[in-house]
Amino acid sequence: MDGITNLSRRRFVFGTAVTIAGVVSGFVFSNEALAELIVLDKDKKILGLTPSIWVEITKDNEVIVTVARSEIGQGIRTTFAMLVAEELDADWSKVFAVNADGDPKYGDQSTGGSTSVRTFWMTLRKAGAQARQLLINAAAEIWGVSPSDCFTENSFVYEKNGTRKLSYADLIDKALELPIPPENSIKLKSVSEFKILGKAHKNIDEPLFVTGKAVYGSDFRLPGMKYAVMLHCPYIGGSLLSYDDSEAKKIKGVLGIYRLSEGIAVVADNSWSALKGREALKATWNPGSNQGLSSETIFNTFRSLLGTLPELPKSTIKELNATYEVPFLAHSTMEPMSAFAFFQDGKCEVWAGTQNPQTARNSVASALGISRNNVKVNVLYSGGGFGRRHINDYIVKAAKISKASGFPILFFYTKDDDIKNDYYRPASMHYIKSGVDSQGKISGFYHKVVSQGDVFYVEPPYNISDIRNFTEKHNFGIPTGPWRSVDYTQNVFAIESAIDELANLAGVDPLQFRLNIAKSSRLKGVLQRVAEISQWNSALPKGVGRGVAAFEGYGAYIAHVVEVSVSDEGFLRILKIFAVVDPGFPINPENIRNQIIGSAIDALSTALNAEITIQNGQILQSGFHNYRWLRMEEIPDFEIDILTTSEQPSGMGEVGFPSVTPALCNAIYNAIGLRIRKLPIGKTPLLKSDDKKNHYEKFHFNTYPNPFVSKVQIEVIINDFNKPSLQLIIYDFLGKKLLEPKLSNTGNKFYTELNLEVYPPGVYYAVVCLDNKRYSFPLVKTI
Amino acid sequence: MKIIVNKTEYDIDVEPNMPLLWVLRDILNLTGTKYGCGIGVCKACTVLIDGYPEQSCSIPISYVEGKEVTTIEGLSINGEHPLQIAWKELSVSQCGYCQPGQIIRAAYLISKIPKPTVEDINKEMSEHICRCGTYKKIRDAILWATKD
Ligand code: FES
Ligand code: FES
Repeated sequence: MDGITNLSRRRFVFGTAVTIAGVVSGFVFSNEALAELIVLDKDKKILGLTPSIWVEITKDNEVIVTVARSEIGQGIRTTFAMLVAEELDADWSKVFAVNADGDPKYGDQSTGGSTSVRTFWMTLRKAGAQARQLLINAAAEIWGVSPSDCFTENSFVYEKNGTRKLSYADLIDKALELPIPPENSIKLKSVSEFKILGKAHKNIDEPLFVTGKAVYGSDFRLPGMKYAVMLHCPYIGGSLLSYDDSEAKKIKGVLGIYRLSEGIAVVADNSWSALKGREALKATWNPGSNQGLSSETIFNTFRSLLGTLPELPKSTIKELNATYEVPFLAHSTMEPMSAFAFFQDGKCEVWAGTQNPQTARNSVASALGISRNNVKVNVLYSGGGFGRRHINDYIVKAAKISKASGFPILFFYTKDDDIKNDYYRPASMHYIKSGVDSQGKISGFYHKVVSQGDVFYVEPPYNISDIRNFTEKHNFGIPTGPWRSVDYTQNVFAIESAIDELANLAGVDPLQFRLNIAKSSRLKGVLQRVAEISQWNSALPKGVGRGVAAFEGYGAYIAHVVEVSVSDEGFLRILKIFAVVDPGFPINPENIRNQIIGSAIDALSTALNAEITIQNGQILQSGFHNYRWLRMEEIPDFEIDILTTSEQPSGMGEVGFPSVTPALCNAIYNAIGLRIRKLPIGKTPLLKSDDKKNHYEKFHFNTYPNPFVSKVQIEVIINDFNKPSLQLIIYDFLGKKLLEPKLSNTGNKFYTELNLEVYPPGVYYAVVCLDNKRYSFPLVKTI
Repeated sequence: MKIIVNKTEYDIDVEPNMPLLWVLRDILNLTGTKYGCGIGVCKACTVLIDGYPEQSCSIPISYVEGKEVTTIEGLSINGEHPLQIAWKELSVSQCGYCQPGQIIRAAYLISKIPKPTVEDINKEMSEHICRCGTYKKIRDAILWATKD
């Protein structure tokens, strides 16, 4: 039977998109399910047993765990349910999770920094153990035996030397009469006693995901609700001068148009009418002080701020002076930002996917000029977070539009809005000055980070005697915010690339080089293991390379080896990724694997393709077509190994990201000797310099313009006119064949004009096939 | 206008050029079909129209008059389709948002090729974006659902 249909109505709200009715006193409105909860909470005898705010035992012998962190794809609802279920000895098939609602009693509900597991590891286990002790005490009292004569299993209490047993549900009434066992009387299990933790467990939300029943922010429905979108200023930091909504108002279904400080809101009967209405708006904008701002200006400014770094110690015999560049990134979650809000009688209720319901509550309160106590924020599923949902701009907009229009409002960003109104991963430039001494040791490591938005330096996890860090920020007014693994995304790329360059300067194998200087034995452990599983020392064919990088953070350690091939034409193939992670205690190994693979694909996608470009104060990217993500056919093979080295768990949502990018760049270097210091990689043609010009004796190849935006002219002039059997093929930089254009000719001059408008920006290759030979030429598409 | 969704006939009064996606989500409250990009790139909105996968964000409602639309809710609301069972068995999803679209296309794939190879799966499923990077698990689940 389906796991959902038999759930109590309390959980119904997380399980279905419809069935909302009724007004609950004390709050603006709620749905039937919530109404039931509020009424029943007053009389716990009817509802069940709640020994703490974290756990509840129902009359159906189910266990409901309250999750005070947001599910954004990291599997936290499953993990938290496991923590309680383990100590409670609950029947795992009857364990469910509900989301906490932003009430301060749950403590900080911000989901970020991979802190959830480390924060709740003891709290939730204690809550489970406390509930279990209470149930044992109840059974002991009923049977007239000592609690030590009882044991628990699968949501039942058993008598040790007898045949009596009672389900947890059967014990509720008795337990309600008993005192809750004090925390200091609770004994937790030892790791060797675990039955649930450390074993692979199925995602408790999967039944909802696969049937479309999981309610995301954009799925919330209430009778009488309306839909809203906003026309935003296209210029970063610009403002509205004037607008004309006469045409928009004529669109069928459009109910109202409101000018707010954030833009012009269009409220309509349905999403489509709202979008049509927005399309019909005419607005003129003041570009503001950012007119003329471009990515080029930003990076030029960064470069000018790098300055000079101190002289390295005298012992230095070989010096590295390298500058690494990383672009702004949008989060581009699968579900564009959206939120439901209803403002009425001075109160506001929100339903949304957010990583920070408590700040959402505060922001809504201050935006609407009401007390925080009059705002309730309910957390729904998020179609991806990656840090984006720490900023609650979309929730505030929903609330303001509801207040302006008087309707319950589902506000949503289109994909275009979502990319153009993000809080971007800060762009940064990293100047690393370092060197090696005569013993091949790093003599000093000086690192200067210049960024727009906060990028704090990160120290290399290695024994280096002289480490110095410098940071400088320059504010261009680009909104920035947290992005999966935050400062590590930029820093670890720079540092682990530089370590590779230093290993080369020292003439030492890069993996051995790291092993020699790694501070932590756990970091050494993952490096050693990844060397084994990747057969690091085995020989590779020509054009194939391996790269390694390591990272420690969030209480965990990880090492990646990436294996790539680069063909003579420049086509990059990522063959395999080996990852060894040491999470301490692995709570749910299957979920760890999912997170490590997911983070790696995230890192590969961004390293290869992703960049937010600014021109004339505007963001140029607008969707997945020009801000590209890898597809199934492009992903490498994976081999993941998990080491268990301690009894403390760690956060797994971010640790798998930082070291993938440098390992990939180090692998490209290993394959063809080309060092990538600028991301995304897909902007650099991967052709060896000795390949250039070797076609001159057969033909000449011209392109115009190159770089190009959508169209490029290609000309092949063959020296020997008697050989017209010529073929031109266009590939993307991963070697996927895209086009085989027909060539026109006048005499020995063959030509065509290509239109690559539909393809994302990046490097493409025009391969000329002549006399059974292939000659590759890069075409650089910009946006 | 009469349309058939998940074997149920609905009489709706909307503009003929309104995309099927918004009819499903806003008029019929069938929110299992997701909005990802609205321009036919991400495939999160995929539904079956007369058995073929189409992007509901880019199909005007007038086009589906007289045709049968199947959404994730119609595949098996209790999650008993072999693919749904496989997804649950392997815990494929991370955020879950792309999965209804993925499962709909996978259902089409196995209706066409009952025992797809890795290449068949890669070719068909590479239409879709999963921002969380669950591709390997999706592939494994399709193989799991179609093994002997
Ligand atoms: S929403 Fe239809 S393809 Fe993206
Ligand atoms: S599971 Fe999140 S987008 Fe696919």
